[in-house]
This record gives sequence, structure tokens and C-alpha cells, in this order.
Amino acid sequence: MGYERQKDFGTPRVKSEKHVTLTIDGRAVTVPEGTTVMRAASEIGSSIPKLCATDNLKQFGSCRLCLVEIEGARGTPASCTTPAAEGMVVKTQTPRLDKLRKGVMELYISDHPLDCLTCSANNDCELQDQAAAVGLRDVRYGYEGANHLAEPTDHSNPYFDFDPSKCIVCSRCVRACDEVQGTFALTIDGRGFGSEVSAGQTLDNFMSSECVSCGACVQACPTATLQEKSVKKIGKPERAVVTTCAYCGVGCTFRAEMRGEQLVRMVPYKDGKANRGHSCVKGRFAWGYANHQDRITRPMVRDNIDQPWREVSWEEALSFSANKLNQIKRDHGARALGGITSSRCTNEETFLVQKLIRGGFGSNNVDTCARVCHSPTGYGLKTTFGTSAGTQDFDSVEDSDVILVIGANPTDGHPVFGSRMKQRLRQGAKLIVIDPRRIDLVKSPHIKAAHHLPLQPGTNVALLTAMAHVIVSEGLADEEFIRTRCDWDEYQDWARFVSQDKNSPEVLEGVTRVPAQSVREAARLYATGGNGAIYYGLGVTEHSQGSSTVMAIANLAMVTGNIGRKGVGVNPLRGQNNVQGACDMGSFPHELPGYRHISDADTRALFEKDWGVTLDPDPGFRINNMLDAAVDGEFRAIYIQGEDILQSDPNTQHVAAGLEAMELVIVHDLFLNETANYAHVFLPGSTFLEKNGTFTNAERRIQPVRKVMEPANGMEDWEVTQALANALGLGWSYTHPSEILDEIARLTPSFAGVSWDRLEREDSLQWPVNEEFPDGAPVMHVDGFVRGKGKFVVTDYVPTDEKTGPRFPLLLTTGRILSQYNVGAQTRRTANVEWHPEDLLEMHPSDAENRGLNDGDWTTLKSRTGETTLRVKVTDRVAPGVVYTTFHHPATQANVVTTDFSDWATNCPEYKVTAVQVMPSNGPSDWQEEYTDLSQKSRRIAGEMEPAE
Amino acid sequence: MSKEQRLSEIIAEHQSREGPLMPILHDVQAEFGCVDADSERIIAAGLNLSRAEVHGVVSFYHDFHGEPDARPVVQICRAEACKSRGVEALIADAEAAAGTRVKLATVYCLGLCSVGPNARIGDDLHARLDSDRLKKLIETV
Amino acid sequence: MSGSTIETLRRMANQIARNFEIMGHVDAVEATADHINMFWDPRMKKQIFGDGGQDLSPIAKAAIEELAQGEIPAHQTRATEFNAVDDIGQSDAG
Repeated sequence: MGYERQKDFGTPRVKSEKHVTLTIDGRAVTVPEGTTVMRAASEIGSSIPKLCATDNLKQFGSCRLCLVEIEGARGTPASCTTPAAEGMVVKTQTPRLDKLRKGVMELYISDHPLDCLTCSANNDCELQDQAAAVGLRDVRYGYEGANHLAEPTDHSNPYFDFDPSKCIVCSRCVRACDEVQGTFALTIDGRGFGSEVSAGQTLDNFMSSECVSCGACVQACPTATLQEKSVKKIGKPERAVVTTCAYCGVGCTFRAEMRGEQLVRMVPYKDGKANRGHSCVKGRFAWGYANHQDRITRPMVRDNIDQPWREVSWEEALSFSANKLNQIKRDHGARALGGITSSRCTNEETFLVQKLIRGGFGSNNVDTCARVCHSPTGYGLKTTFGTSAGTQDFDSVEDSDVILVIGANPTDGHPVFGSRMKQRLRQGAKLIVIDPRRIDLVKSPHIKAAHHLPLQPGTNVALLTAMAHVIVSEGLADEEFIRTRCDWDEYQDWARFVSQDKNSPEVLEGVTRVPAQSVREAARLYATGGNGAIYYGLGVTEHSQGSSTVMAIANLAMVTGNIGRKGVGVNPLRGQNNVQGACDMGSFPHELPGYRHISDADTRALFEKDWGVTLDPDPGFRINNMLDAAVDGEFRAIYIQGEDILQSDPNTQHVAAGLEAMELVIVHDLFLNETANYAHVFLPGSTFLEKNGTFTNAERRIQPVRKVMEPANGMEDWEVTQALANALGLGWSYTHPSEILDEIARLTPSFAGVSWDRLEREDSLQWPVNEEFPDGAPVMHVDGFVRGKGKFVVTDYVPTDEKTGPRFPLLLTTGRILSQYNVGAQTRRTANVEWHPEDLLEMHPSDAENRGLNDGDWTTLKSRTGETTLRVKVTDRVAPGVVYTTFHHPATQANVVTTDFSDWATNCPEYKVTAVQVMPSNGPSDWQEEYTDLSQKSRRIAGEMEPAE
Repeated sequence: MSKEQRLSEIIAEHQSREGPLMPILHDVQAEFGCVDADSERIIAAGLNLSRAEVHGVVSFYHDFHGEPDARPVVQICRAEACKSRGVEALIADAEAAAGTRVKLATVYCLGLCSVGPNARIGDDLHARLDSDRLKKLIETV
Repeated sequence: MSGSTIETLRRMANQIARNFEIMGHVDAVEATADHINMFWDPRMKKQIFGDGGQDLSPIAKAAIEELAQGEIPAHQTRATEFNAVDDIGQSDAG
């Protein structure tokens, strides 16, 4: 396919039941009432000239190019601001309009450089297109007058340039920043001829301004004023492939725009159902890691981790692995082997890894990174609703009246959805934020939470129970919903429990430290404010009562009837792109794909017959148990695909001890990650740009990932797993991921109707897709819960064992930041580090003063588990007694201090609560120094130059 | 009282009004002789606006200045009526008289079209100006 | 702070029991036993069965004893109910 921009209808789509019919240039067209004349014309392929209009922004009416003639109307109205009316007769092309448009165009061009041939937007420029469309042949004003041609270019953003000399001041960038992204970082400085687009204030450039580099302004720009540096460097793309972003669980659809084998840019796809044409700094720009110099593209092995790596052929790496796996299996049994699937890899790849472990290794020791993020969501929603997936699609937020955000920071963690949420909040929806930290949603331009409940970390259950107390005791429960949808007896038990005095906001204030009055007001708002939607993240799950908190959230949604329609629901914001998919594909040790327990003989028989193997009927180890068992000698070999457990899992020194005790650690990754320091085999992986397959986002939406370039390592990840399987003699013969998807559909009832061909045709499908739901299911529990009745579960607040005391008086909680992703393996290898070069420890001014710490000072952060050093940032975003850091940089090693404590039901680690002490630092901790030495030694590759001392 | 405290007071005084930004900017301009970058930032935080938005408004209006200007100001109308009554012929002399001591500002219409050319100093309007009278006004301001 | 494997297992069992405690002793014992039965690797079960109930809460201890005697508890919550082979209803996606 040749390169074309996506069609632009000029003004947004209008939703209306009523339709009007009008005539444009002699042709009749019927459109929803409220549609503009410009869009109506576009629908029938008549393109009215325009510059300031684009279809993801509200009509603005400033460029005066889209004038039309309407029978019976005076003058020449702008088609972008004129709604279509029944019977209207419009002419888009007349001599009078020609003359007017040419005149307007002449004025634009008289202050625009005539450097089209050397311009980076040459042949991809709306100004150029419109000059052609209006037949501009001459500019009567000459080019000698005052102009902006000498304006200097702002190169400060690492991904795009701002060249005001090419700017036509259409305000599309300013409006995109306001309306789409919601950051309001841009403005028009000055007035009249002096008007200029400006980021921030007089002395700001893009980098110093409030800009979050989402790229919406660059996408909106009709000229080369805002242009990707990559386009300036490489040139205009020649083809585009629609694919799915590999960062967070939002699952944005992008056009990967290519020139030859080179990726020129990633542009958000307007028809993407999760992102609706928007993007963030990660998906839009941070793809440079794909060909970063650190990328390892050849397999490597070594006998022990003291040795340098040896680059070897695939055959040697695979037979080395297979021999060791076979030997360990012979000596210690199948249950000494296991592996970890990746939520960053495709459904097909994940499916194959668990198939290899269960069917090839012969054990159920398979786990996935969802263990350490959303496993409590699984437990909690399954117990209450009967199924654990998020109940809504992302579009649902457009119908919410009250949004409750707990333990999530959408504007950083899930920025594209965060922007959509902010759009709804600016329309008037009310916001409640429950978070120990004052996240941006609490207060940022044009957004202000009605209530921020800054609770003590680890007290989520107490706070939610107190809200339930208010709802029940003040008679705000939705009894009709409860009687028809839920188990009434269980509700009454629960209502009695929450109504007890000990669960009142007043009593629990001592635990949560949130003023009772705020809790009461927030509870009333959620219960009575219209459609109430709850969005939550890892601040809910990563606690010793993570599962209980999820159940407490579900209880709140049920007691207020906020389930089963648009605008409401319980919505876990998934961390990684394919968390949902990895779980669907049987990545947990106790269950096969489709959430069927391994002890179920019928299910095992289905897989045993299809795979030609015998399966172990008992659950295997979870990640943390694998590590314990490794230290005990019970677990000896692990295959880890696309995960860096040393950095991401809690209590780093314990993870290191477990890995070190293993005889064989196979790491399959893009980079020599931290875990690879303990590995014996390194199998190079491929990026999402180099493979075909599917990801399933937080909405259960299965979306295609399409290969846009050949894998630098020579194989897609599913091929690597297949090669390892075949080295073990399994005889797999897949030739394309579509065949794996067929196998998944054959073996997994909720995927029965899914196929690669169908996804090619329909772009995406939300499971379940089967006979009952042939086209999938956007919103769940519409006419009742999927399985039986909704269950209220009594959630008793159990304080965590991790307690502050004289030695460790502060509570550490962790989170992430916009520009970085997870352990940073990808984003640290891009220019995103310019926004976040290191992890900082946020501390309240009073705590800092007590310790004699100033902003930027180095500190030692110490817990019962370990200690690390990092710099302090003094801020009142956190309450006194609470400190906060991110975990994106391996040098910081935030997880050296986190503990082994975990969720009671799922063992999801308690990352969010660690008792710590902070003191001025004398330099890196012993562990940091030891680890740095080990890391340098371990990353040596034989034959490569040793770095000079 | 620090500047920041005073700004907070001004913001608090107007915050509950509909459209509080303009009255705040007027008060800040009157009190400090300018709305500088720091003030823009503090006002933005106070009203939950972005820095860019406040700066956009400040830079739009000629009456708000980014930095203080101690010079006295003489506003001269150069709109159509005053032009037809000869204001352009007075400009060269006025500029000479102003030098670097006085700031001349062009405005468009002071509402006294029949008696132009007109000028304004503070809240005082001056009509039927000729070159000498305008020069004298500028020199004595 | 990370203890030996058996200490971890005791802590896990006690924590499960503590969170079911609100159900009352009898139900909590059943729920704890059911949970451990469905989610623990056989080696973990074997190890704690052979531990003599040391440092376990009464609920955890009773649950472990029940399992050690080979009893298979009925499912106490939907968390331990899974899809049948041709079923699509439940998921426990992380």
C-alpha cells in the first residue's frame, strides 16, 4: 500500500438519532443532525479547502478557507461552523468562492517560506495541498513586507522540532493540547500580526514548558512547523502498517509509517478503538530501543555466571539448553523445571511458552508477571462478579458522572486513557481520588477532584469499608439492583458487617488518617451522583490485602447498582500491554488456557489429546515459591521470556539468591537485562515491530500486532520458543502465529470465534467470541452477572505485618512516571530519559527538615530487607510520614528495600507499603556496589573489547 | 509581605467571581507595574490554569506588561477619525519629544472622534491636539 | 528478613486463615483448606503437612490437618471454582 494520510473529515463525528438530508454540489447526503456542512461534504468525497479544521478537534472557524455558498443564506459562511440542515442546498465550488479562497491563501503564503523542495513536509503538507486545491498561482503582496521567516527553530524536545517560521497560526496545535491531551501547555502569544504559537511562557521552550510530549500537536500541525525529527532525518514515509502499541494496557492502535525497512514514525490511528487517535510520549516516540546498540541479536551461552558470555549459533544455544534441561529432568524430575511467560509478548508466544513448560518440561511451574501486578484483580472480581475482567470498554468513561480513582495514576501510567478521562471531567463529571499521594488528577489545569482522600498506605480496605458504612447506614444502597442481581442473604450479612460502629469513618479515621467528613461526602457523591465508575491500579492490588481491596471495590459498585451499563463499572487499569492476554493463555500455575483448573481431568484430556502429551494434574509453583524452592535445591531450571524479575520483583537480594542457586537460567529478551546477570543461556528476542500476533488490552480487546520489519535477531519470539521445543524433541511445526491462534481458538471456548483472518477484517474483537457472543462483548454483566448472582464478600481489615517503628518510621510507597515504563528496559534506551534520568525519593518538607535534607541531596533509604541510595525530592505531594519513589532505573534498585510480604490470596507482592528510614547518604550502599561489580563482570562478552579502567 | 503573599491575597479576593483572571491581572498590573513570569505562574496555580493560558491572556492585552516600565505613558489615537484629522503629521515631533524618557503608545479610538487628534495620559483625555500642544504634553508628563 | 521456605509457608497459611477468620472458625477452616488445596504446589503442601502445625493459627492448623488427612474440601468461594472444559464464564486474569 502506498503512503496516504488517514482521511480527515474536518470536524468531529456527531452522535444523533435524528438525521437531516441536504444537497451538496447537486448530490444528496444524509447525516446525523448537528453534523457540519464540511463533514457532510467530506462524507460524499467532496473536499472543501480547509486549514484550521481537523476531525479530532472542535470546529474553530478561523482560517476562512472553507467558505461555501448556501441557497437563501447571506454571504459565504464557513462550512466548518455551519451545521447541516434539512433541505439545505450547498455549493462548494463557485467563481466567487474561488476568488475568496485564493485571496485568503495569498495572505497565508505571503508570510510562509517558499522552500517546499527542501521542506521536511514536502508532499505531505496540508498548506501545500490547499494552495494546490485553490489554484494559487501568484501572491500579489510580494514577500518583502514584515514576516516571521527569521524566527528561530526550537529543537528542545528530543522527538520533534518547532519551527515558527513555517507557522500559519491556525491554532490546531493549541487546541489539540487543550481538547485532546488536556494539558493546556500551548498558547497563542501576542495578538494580531504578532500572534505566535508559544509553549509555556516567554522564556520557555517546549522542554521547559508543561508539554508532556504526547505528539497531539505534531499530528495536528498542517505544515512542517511541528515535525518529528525522524521525518526530517529520514524523509517522508512510503507505507503504513496498522499495529498495536507494546507499552501499557490501554493498547493504542498506531500506524507504523515506514520507509524501506526503517520506521519513520508511529502515528496514532484514528480508528483505534482504545485510543481514538491519541497517543502518549511512550507509544508515539519511544520506539528507538528497537535498534539500540545494547540490543543483543546473537545467542550466547556460558557454563557459569562468573564467565564471560560466548556468542554461539542458534543450534548450539538450543542444544546446550536442551541437554541441560533433559539432564536436570532426569536427575531431579520434571517439577524441578519451570518458566515465566511475558505480558509484553503476544498471546501466541505466551501460549507457546506455557505449552512448552506444561507439555515439554512436564511441570506446571509456569507463572507470569501478572502475579506481581493484577493477580488480586483476578481473585477479587472472580469471587464477587464471577469473572474477573474489567467490566467496561474505554468508551464507557464518556457516560460517567462520578469517577472514583483509587490506587491508580492514569495521567502517568495510562496516559491516553487519562486524557479521555480528563475530557469527561472537563465536561463536568465529578472526581474522587483515593491515593496517599497528590497525583496530577487531584489538581491540574482545569481538573480538580471533588474529594482527595490521602489515606495511609496499606489502609485501602478500611477506607472502602468506611465508605460502604456510609452508603448502607445512610440508606443510599440501591436495593432494587441488589435484590435482582445479587445474593440478598449475603448482602444482608455484609450490610450488618459494614454498619457496625467499628467500621464507621469516625472510628476508622484513626487507621486511615482521612477525616471522617471527607469519607462521608465522597461516599455520598459516589452513591448518588449518577453513573459511578471505579478505576483502579496497582495501588489497590500490590498490598497484603490486595484481593480484599478488589472485593471491597466490587462491593461498593454492587451496593450502588453501578454495574452492567455504560458509564459505570469496575475497571482495573492493566499495567502491561498483554496482561489480560497472558492470563487468558494459561500463564498461572494452577490453570490451563481459558481459566480451567489443572486438576480438572476433562480439561487435561482435551489438551493431552491435542498436544500428544501427559499433563501434571497438580498446580505448580508461583514465582516467589520457585525462588524459595531454588534455594532449597527443589527447583533448578527456568526459562524466562521477556521479564526482568531481578529488577521488577520484590526483595532483590532474595531473587538474586534464588537465581544464583539454579543450574540453568535461560533468559529470552531484547537486552542483557538485570536477570541475565544470573543467566547461562541468552536467547535474543524480537520487538513488537518484528513479529505477528495479537495483544489483548484491558478492555479484553484482542488486537493484531503486525510485523513491519524483519527481526534483528533472525526469529520472532514464537519461533525461538518453537526452536527450543524442537531441540527437546517436541516436533512443533507452526509456520505463522495464525496457526497458534487457531489452536488457541480450538482449545479455549472464549476464543472460539477468533481467527487471524477475522482480525484482519474487523481490526479487533472483545472476548468472549463464541456462539453466544458472535461479535464479542464490550460491556459485561449487562442483564445480570455472567455467572449467577453478584456476591457481597465481607472484607475484614487486617493490618499489614509491615509496620513502622522507631527504626523504620516512614512508609515507602512506589509508582511510575509518564515518560518511563516499568523497569525501563525500553524507555531507558530512548530519549525519554531526558524527562526522568533517575529515580527520586519524594519526601514531605517536614520529614526532610527533621533529617536535615534538602532538595537534591543523596540519601540512604533503608528497610528491614536492604538499603539503597537515591536523591531526595522535597514536595508536599506526599503526606508527612510517607515517602515515594519510582522503580524505573536499575541503579536505584528500589526493590532492594521492598519486602517478601504479599497479598494473602495471590502472593502479589506488597510493593506499596514498606517501613523505611531515610538518612543523609555517604554514597552507594554495599549491595549497590557489589551488584555493580557483578553486573559489569556478568555482562562481558568474550571477544569484545573490555572497557578501559 | 512578600510578593507571593500579596499575589495570593489578590487571587483570593477574586477567585469566587465568574471569570476571575482579568480582574486579577488588572490588580497585579496596578500593584506591581507588570505581570511578570513568576506572577503568571502563581496566578495559574491559583486558578488551576496552565502557565501557558495565563501567559496567552497577559500577552494579548497591551495594558499588561511582562516587566515593569517606569516611563510615563502617553497614548495617542491613530484610528480613522484622528488620522483624517491629521494625527500622522504629529507623530515625528511627538517621538522626538518623547525620546527615551516617555513611552508613546498607539491606541485605536478614545471615543472623541469629532475633536481629534486625541491623546490620553492616565485617566485624562486631551483633544484638539496640534504639534505644539502634544509636544508640551509629552515634555511635561 | 526473608526466612526459610517453611517460615514462608507458615506465614502464607496464617495469612490466608486470618483473612477468612471473619467467616467464623468452621467456615474459615474449610475456606483455608480449599484455598491451599487449589493453589499450592504439592511440595509446599507436603512440607507444611510434615511441619507439625508449628506457629500456625488455630484456623490454619485445622485446615492443614484436614488436608493432611487427605480430605478434599468443597469449594468455599468462587475463587476456587473454575470453568469446566467447555465453559467460558470465569476468568481470573491478573
